[in-house]
Amino acid sequence: MHENLRRLTLIGALAVLTGWPAAAGDTSARQLIAQFAAEAGTQPSAARGKALFMGTHTGGKPETPSCTTCHTRNLKAAGQTRAGKAIEPMAPSVNPARYTDSAKVAKWFRRNCKSVLGRECTAAEKADILAWLSGL
Amino acid sequence: MDKKRAEAAQGRTRRAPQPVWDGFVRLFHWGLVASIAVAAVTGFLLGPSFIPVHVVAASLAVALVLARIIWGFAGGGYARFAGFVAGPGRLLRYARDVLARREARHVGHNPLGGAMVLALMAAVLVAGLTGWAFLGAGAKLGPFAFVLAFAASPVLAELHEAVAFAILALVALHVAGVVFTSRREGENLVRAMVTGEKEVGPQDIVPPQREPRTGAALGVGLALALVLGAAIAAPVFLPVPGAPVAEIDPTVRAECTDCHMFYHPSLLPAGDWRRIMATLDDHYGEDASLDADTAAEITAWLTAHAAESADTRASKVFRLDPAGGVTRITETPFWKARHAGIGDAAFRSAEVGSRANCAACHADAESGWFNPFFAEIEG
Repeated sequence: MHENLRRLTLIGALAVLTGWPAAAGDTSARQLIAQFAAEAGTQPSAARGKALFMGTHTGGKPETPSCTTCHTRNLKAAGQTRAGKAIEPMAPSVNPARYTDSAKVAKWFRRNCKSVLGRECTAAEKADILAWLSGL
Repeated sequence: MDKKRAEAAQGRTRRAPQPVWDGFVRLFHWGLVASIAVAAVTGFLLGPSFIPVHVVAASLAVALVLARIIWGFAGGGYARFAGFVAGPGRLLRYARDVLARREARHVGHNPLGGAMVLALMAAVLVAGLTGWAFLGAGAKLGPFAFVLAFAASPVLAELHEAVAFAILALVALHVAGVVFTSRREGENLVRAMVTGEKEVGPQDIVPPQREPRTGAALGVGLALALVLGAAIAAPVFLPVPGAPVAEIDPTVRAECTDCHMFYHPSLLPAGDWRRIMATLDDHYGEDASLDADTAAEITAWLTAHAAESADTRASKVFRLDPAGGVTRITETPFWKARHAGIGDAAFRSAEVGSRANCAACHADAESGWFNPFFAEIEG
């Protein structure tokens, strides 16, 4: 209960700061990392994020054992979905629109963690992955 | 025997060759040979990717025949129908004379040859009519798109094929007739159709000479071309019944094109869309889940504009059957038959990526039309 209250206060504060309601360009990678780290109560680690992103997993759908199945290992270049559609580069250095839309980030973490891991990512994992991707 | 007749013909006073087949008649003849040859090869032997070539070649044959009909009323003596079209009585008498080897020599078309000209031209016109009717019903192209439903297309395809076979039979008969008459009269009729010149003797039958009315023929031809061109182009400008919905809901487009091209709702019946939308958490091997409100909004739009709302070929040929192992459009019998000649490597190539990427080769795929003229097959 105490934990939840603290989290709500933090989210509320962030919401005010970032200009709720959510819309494209409503957030930044830094804000998202802070938000997920606060939620998890851990320090974000780019190294852990890289290992998770580049690693091969078994809990999810057999078609997508890794994030790199579609995003590839070169995140400054476009990836390709299994249906053949291009995926914009993940690195903000070449694609500045990345991690600026909180709804999009939530949607793709939910879908892709389930596809690759078979479960949703924890807040700590999200903070780690963003910590790594946002520096690319 | 033929030799003897040829010698007899030589014995008649032959004069220097005279112009018989004018430039247009020769252009018409050899143009028809070429366009029918291309139409026959593409229609009988080659697959659906050659439909555009077939339609263009066959329509050229029809245009040549229409022009020849105009010239049949406006051309010089040898080109005019009045000079070579015989009624049944004359036709029968001439046939009897041929059998008795006492027929007169016609410098233009003899009565049997004239009948063949009419029969071939009529057959080409009927083939063109049934062909465009089939295109209208099946692909919603040309003037018949406004009046014929897709349901009529199988019958029209049969009819069109039957007429095409009739043309082949007539061509065989025509060639046999040319060989027969060439040998009988000792004159190469094929060469005459190239040079336009034939020998004319004093006893030969020559049609009354007429002054060609080229200007009038061109005027009528141009008017007819405009009318037919407008009729063929009409579906581009006017709404066609049974057209797939053109205005796409922005939410549907945005959500459904995150991972793949836009699959038009008319490609699948409403029941298939409902099942797909109910199982988004395992969407062809990926989690494509949506919040409940968005999913409901998208399902409503998809089912409202599903296959049942259209009359295109693409709306009639794809039905999923998960129990029978058909979970994707690319697993349907129609899809497999139509793409049988395309190798795995082509689908996996960088430009295509997967079989699911229709738009890589069908430029109009996202509209739901799948017009055969917009399908690009690269070697």
